[in-house]
Amino acid sequence: MIEIKQVGNTYRLGETQVHALRGVNLTIQSGEFVSIWGPSGSGKTTLLNLIGAIDEPTRGDVLFDGQNIGHLSDNKRSELRNHTLGFIFQGFNLVPVLTALENVMLPLQIGGMSPHKARKVAEDRLADVKLEAVAHHRPDKLSGGQRQRVSIARALAGNPSVVIADEPTANLDSDTAMTIISLMHELNQKEQTTFVFSTHDDRLLGQVERLIRLEDGQIVEGGSNASVG
Amino acid sequence: MLQWVKIAFRNVLRNKRRSFVTLFAIAIGFSSISLFNGYTDNTYEGLRQSAIQGEGLGHLTVFKKGWNEFGKLNPAQYLLTQAEVQKIAQLLKEDPSVVLVTPQLHGSGLVGNGVQSTIFIASGVVPDEDRLLRGEFATRRPIVGGTLQTDKPYAVEMAQDLARQLNLSPNGDGTIMASTFDGQMNALGIEIAGIYDTGTAATNDKYIRIPFSYAQELYDTDKADRVIVLLNHWQSTLPQKERIATLLSQNGLEVEIKTWNERSQFFVKVKGMFDMIFAFIFSIVLIIVLMSVANTMSMAVIERTREIGTLRALGLKQRGVSLMFALEGAMMGGLGCLVGVAITVAGCALIVAIGPTYTPPGSSSPIPLIVNLLPQAMARLTLFLMTLSLLAAILPARRAAKGNVVESLGHV
Repeated sequence: MIEIKQVGNTYRLGETQVHALRGVNLTIQSGEFVSIWGPSGSGKTTLLNLIGAIDEPTRGDVLFDGQNIGHLSDNKRSELRNHTLGFIFQGFNLVPVLTALENVMLPLQIGGMSPHKARKVAEDRLADVKLEAVAHHRPDKLSGGQRQRVSIARALAGNPSVVIADEPTANLDSDTAMTIISLMHELNQKEQTTFVFSTHDDRLLGQVERLIRLEDGQIVEGGSNASVG
Repeated sequence: MLQWVKIAFRNVLRNKRRSFVTLFAIAIGFSSISLFNGYTDNTYEGLRQSAIQGEGLGHLTVFKKGWNEFGKLNPAQYLLTQAEVQKIAQLLKEDPSVVLVTPQLHGSGLVGNGVQSTIFIASGVVPDEDRLLRGEFATRRPIVGGTLQTDKPYAVEMAQDLARQLNLSPNGDGTIMASTFDGQMNALGIEIAGIYDTGTAATNDKYIRIPFSYAQELYDTDKADRVIVLLNHWQSTLPQKERIATLLSQNGLEVEIKTWNERSQFFVKVKGMFDMIFAFIFSIVLIIVLMSVANTMSMAVIERTREIGTLRALGLKQRGVSLMFALEGAMMGGLGCLVGVAITVAGCALIVAIGPTYTPPGSSSPIPLIVNLLPQAMARLTLFLMTLSLLAAILPARRAAKGNVVESLGHV
């Protein structure tokens, strides 16, 4: 379970102080399929970065299964990300010198898994996203949709309890975007993995179970566990 | 680990042109050091052999205590008696690492052909033992005519420029004159047995070698001014010096021992000069390698900032990022050295094929340019340059690793 308590986040952009988040309170239960929706600059990415333990709030607490992320050392946060979290990026962020299979193996090997075992798990994950055929292709030989599916396979490789996806469909055409969201939803249903993703594409909202709407760094809708659609 | 090595290797090949320039810089630096090191190694080897065998210094020289400080002013007081020479020989010949113990008597005087005369510097040596001392070195500078003979004490070997000045050739006659240790003038007739090249222009017009017994007759003494000790290997020179000094002292002999390099100032100076040049070249290569690798890795870190952010988000620790780039740096250093080995071997082969010669300063004749291939030295250099490349990569990598993950992910 993720708990966000009175979180505020401020950063400097040149001479200006930007209040990305203002006193956000949010609880996400295990197995939820949550979308954070809002216009550009509303604080979606900042919120996801805090949930993903790659950023620290200026104020307030982010708790992961009761553990305050802000109290963890950099190494402990890295371990938390590796063992408990999966990331899907807008720009796919695949390592270009590695094949699809090796990209999926990467978080497992960072976690110290043997290459043999990591290969087996990665092959299974690629099969889940129906990419066995291109397992040995490098990212530059894959389409945008295939790259994002590799990214999803990589995020799920270590059986994380939460997958964070920042605008996972932004660089994809509508059909592919729908396919990716469906795939994420399917995996959420199948493995009970919590998915938290941001989007500003309202065509995808029909797929989500819970919608959190952000505006100017504040939750204006969906802060409680109410479902939509 | 193998996965990270594979990733490092692929990343080295990622920007081929930049990696090639860096590898080439390392390779050129490596081969410059290796070729120069091989050249100096051969030169030191040649100079060492020239000093020990060519100049006849042996590995160790035993003098009467005080000879080196006061012997020039009052040589008679610092000569070794026959009994002392015999005792030294007897004590040292029991040592298996001692190949030869032979007395010598050195001096100077005037040598003439009946018409004109000039100065000489003479080495009085025991003919058979001197041949053993020179060993195979004698074949490198063959004597024109004959060599010293025990049964022909008046026959001498004369340096080539001195013989030319006096218009003397093998079987020609001359006279040597010198002041005895008692201050009397003495003159003896000589026959030129052979003419030899000392190897250096500075000595080629002065040196003669005469039988030890004839030198004793010339200087009217039955003593020797030194005892030359030849060992089975030059590398045991220093430990043997200590051991022999103790042994002789324990047996009541008041002597001082000099090593071949202490006596050969030429070797010391040439080595000093080459060592300085080597240090200079090495420093330049060091800076080039450091700058090249640091620059390449800094560029790689900047270009791959987003990738670093991704890896950190996936759970790679700061240390892991540093190690990943350090591995790349070390790999770049290693690959550069590998190319450097190939260039070095090709360079050596080219030198062997062309066979260039040159005349070093002070030398009387041209010598071949030889470069020794030194696998151990190259292995050490590879290890050193790999470590250096690794360190050069760590600095930018540490900076990248400590960067904010969010900022790294947002880097364009």
